[in-house]
Amino acid sequence: MRKGQLSHRCKAFFSKPSNVLLVVFLVILFCLSVLPLLAMLSNMFTVHLGTEKKLLKQAVGSLTLNHFQRLFPVSDWSIVNFWKPLKNSFIVAGGSGILGILIGGTVAWFIARSNLKYKKFISSVFVFPYMMPAWTLALFWVNVFQNSKVGGGNVGMLESIFGICMPEWFVFGLFPMIIVIALHYSPFAYLLIGGILKNMDATLEESATILKASRMKIIRRITLPIVMPAVLSTFLLIFSSGFSSYTVPVFLGSSVKCFTLSTKMRALINAGYQGQGYIIAFVSIVLGCFILGLNQWFTGKRKSYTTVTGKSGQVSLVNLKKANTPISLFLCVYVLFFAIMPLVSFGLESVIRQPGNYSFSNMTLHFWIGTESSAYETGMIAGILLNPTMWKALGRQILLALIVGMIVGTSGMLIGYACVRRRGTRLSHWVESMAFFPYLMPAMAFGTIYLAVATSESFHFLYGTFGVLILVASIKFLPFASRSGINSMLQISPEIEEAATVVGVPWWKRMVKIMFPIQKSSILSGYLLPVISVMREVALFTLLVPYARYLLTTMLFSFNETGYSQYGSAVTLLIVLIVILINTLTNKLTGASFDKGIGG
Amino acid sequence: MPHILLEHITKRFDKFIAVDDLNLEIQDRGFITLLGPSGCGKTTTLRMIAGLETPTEGRITIDGAVVFDAEKGINLPPVKRDIGFLFQNYALWPHMTVYQNIAFGLENLKWSKADIRTRVDELLALLKIEPFEKRYPSELSGGQQQRVAIARTLAPSPKVLFMDEPLSNLDAKLRQEMRTELKRLHSDTNSTFVYVTHDQLEAMTLSTQVCLMSNGLLQQYAPPLTVYNQPANQFVAEFVGNPTMNFVPADITEESGQRVTLQFLGRTAVFRSREALAPHGNRAIVGLRPEFLPIRENGKLSGIAYSTLPSGMETTVKVMVQDSMMTSVVFGSVDYAVDQTIQLDVIGENIILFDAESKNSIGIGSLEL
Repeated sequence: MRKGQLSHRCKAFFSKPSNVLLVVFLVILFCLSVLPLLAMLSNMFTVHLGTEKKLLKQAVGSLTLNHFQRLFPVSDWSIVNFWKPLKNSFIVAGGSGILGILIGGTVAWFIARSNLKYKKFISSVFVFPYMMPAWTLALFWVNVFQNSKVGGGNVGMLESIFGICMPEWFVFGLFPMIIVIALHYSPFAYLLIGGILKNMDATLEESATILKASRMKIIRRITLPIVMPAVLSTFLLIFSSGFSSYTVPVFLGSSVKCFTLSTKMRALINAGYQGQGYIIAFVSIVLGCFILGLNQWFTGKRKSYTTVTGKSGQVSLVNLKKANTPISLFLCVYVLFFAIMPLVSFGLESVIRQPGNYSFSNMTLHFWIGTESSAYETGMIAGILLNPTMWKALGRQILLALIVGMIVGTSGMLIGYACVRRRGTRLSHWVESMAFFPYLMPAMAFGTIYLAVATSESFHFLYGTFGVLILVASIKFLPFASRSGINSMLQISPEIEEAATVVGVPWWKRMVKIMFPIQKSSILSGYLLPVISVMREVALFTLLVPYARYLLTTMLFSFNETGYSQYGSAVTLLIVLIVILINTLTNKLTGASFDKGIGG
Repeated sequence: MPHILLEHITKRFDKFIAVDDLNLEIQDRGFITLLGPSGCGKTTTLRMIAGLETPTEGRITIDGAVVFDAEKGINLPPVKRDIGFLFQNYALWPHMTVYQNIAFGLENLKWSKADIRTRVDELLALLKIEPFEKRYPSELSGGQQQRVAIARTLAPSPKVLFMDEPLSNLDAKLRQEMRTELKRLHSDTNSTFVYVTHDQLEAMTLSTQVCLMSNGLLQQYAPPLTVYNQPANQFVAEFVGNPTMNFVPADITEESGQRVTLQFLGRTAVFRSREALAPHGNRAIVGLRPEFLPIRENGKLSGIAYSTLPSGMETTVKVMVQDSMMTSVVFGSVDYAVDQTIQLDVIGENIILFDAESKNSIGIGSLEL
């Protein structure tokens, strides 16, 4: 009798598609994100093959606390390998967070609250750098400012054209890292803060005007405090992105031995100190969790800001008067410079034979379409457009991006559907938080976790395969797809689906014919976002690819590490153009756009 | 003492005319309602007087001082107009406590801490919100937020108080209560109230003068009972009063002085106007308030019951007379069977004759069947 009842309840439970989905995703997410994390945790306490085995004189896999003992207590070794990179990471993250907010917030204020000219142009070009990979700006910085006196001694554009040599702190190290990361994430701050400013109820400010508050006082006492939570949470998002940034510190730090936690993580693992590498990965994950917790604490406080997203009345724009034209023109030049100049510089760098010499006679298309193996011996038998290695790498990257896009986009939508339908249940809550969990992990740390899994005995078949790249990217890029899936599904009232259920439309048909078309645009950006993310991702893959030239992005980094900057520039240009092409095509065809489904 | 004068005020948003050549005189210590359907320009008018919106043309004078003049290029900011403004959604600052919200305006006037304390306490007591002093707006109910918003507006004792549909976000019971409070507040504070609403009942019960607008044009500006009893045109007659006035088409067959003979509901009737008739055509509309159509056994009009809507104190009866649907109101609860025959009478001295063409009122008087 009891048994019968149980099976009856099971049957009832699984007759709902949303329950089936939730259980399936719970199992998958547990296996793919929680288990690897546990594997990594155990790796922090074990001895690995190579350097560690030699050093510790213990059998591989035996337990040890040595990794902690070496990394944490203050010593010359731990300062160089942990404490200094940690400090650098904090400086870069904090600095870029503040600067990014200042730039993005200022532009947002001008666009939302003043009578600035050319708003549409400035707004659309300003978000452009956010679409490009972060390292394009870093590479651009190096191309322009490197000079014969610093780093590798390559001559950059500024020295070659104007004879100006910038000092080392300006060209490499923490200062340019802060600038570049801030520039990259300022559009993100712009979109978030601008959205709040636009949606903020204008009567909040008008009522202060009537109570005789001056304009400055209104900004200080009303506007700023109201946007503050959004500003803080934007700061924290840029902070965590800056903290986990890998590509920018590689370009701007390696040549002067300026490490952050993520570059150090890789250096340690490559040098055979896997244990310490995993500990650093763990530290950055803990920090990520802490920051997210902080963010939720900020946004969930007593002075709830729900009124902020009210309908906005007629906003009276601030008249900039005489300052209007200069500010408008300055912003136009500014956005154009950072949107177009990087591309121009990559184009230029990729056609000069001898770096630093920009005369016409030094130009060549060798790096694009050269056929003979030349003096620039790189292991490349031809220019990138004629090179089979390049085409294979590009092919793999695109295939990877498309597969991951399909997996992540579909999963995101299904998770969104299932979580919203069963909202309030424990199961739904678990799946929702587990799908968001990978967001807390820096890409480098996430790659490290999967490296730990793939090098373990039972999963060795994964090591260096295309499959592991699909797995790692699918999980890593799931958070935003599931978030946008949940948000879009929340906007559809259940009655809309129920109306179809009542007349007997099967579940899959309801999804395809009703749910999907209604939220077409936001669901498509759920597909688009991972595609673009994969096209420009480096940190996640760099430890997992079988060899450096396996993917286009990792190939690019190997060029730059070995000093073949022309090939590097050419490949970068190619990647940026592909990303723009994908975004434009999708935008034209479906109306979905990268900056609409924007995330961290 | 404030006396507000609007002369030839026009406001255009691109091609759309929100307010068209509005002339209005608001008396000191009045309680004026700007009434009309949504989109009629009433909120825009209020915002223009407050200085939150700039008129395209015209002149506004508050208390003898010109605050806006399109020709002379005068446009005083809201700060200098010495007004209070109560917003529809209260616009309480979410990051300030109730106390801070109310005190903010006084701080801007550079009041001393002690004076602010005294004044805020006074207002907290006046609006019965003392227990919530330390709470944030999100921790208050709609009615409490409303009271805080009123307290904040009243704090600097403005001479004129503007209110933009302040009660429309409250539930019916609370709205009734706040209406009583507002009227009381008006006599207590001794200031001029200008009040925007689309609820004719609110306008009728609260105001000393009603300014009824439609499509940016002023329809009638008069005390509420005048608007009710002597509407200037059919729009006003239809907008004010619940249930709505009955409108019956009629043909004028004979006319001598104030006496008009009409063909009305298939029979001949005589309309006697109290005053001389306004110019008109041959086709007219008779406006009959439901209370002028009592149900009587010996009533002269015969119809059949269409449906009966009892609400306790009174009952609205819909009756089909010839081909016209008529509304009648009966005191107390009665119920008529559907299609039952009913006799109606026509009584009263405030029956209105409108011109069918211009829709303007021709005369007011009695109708004899």
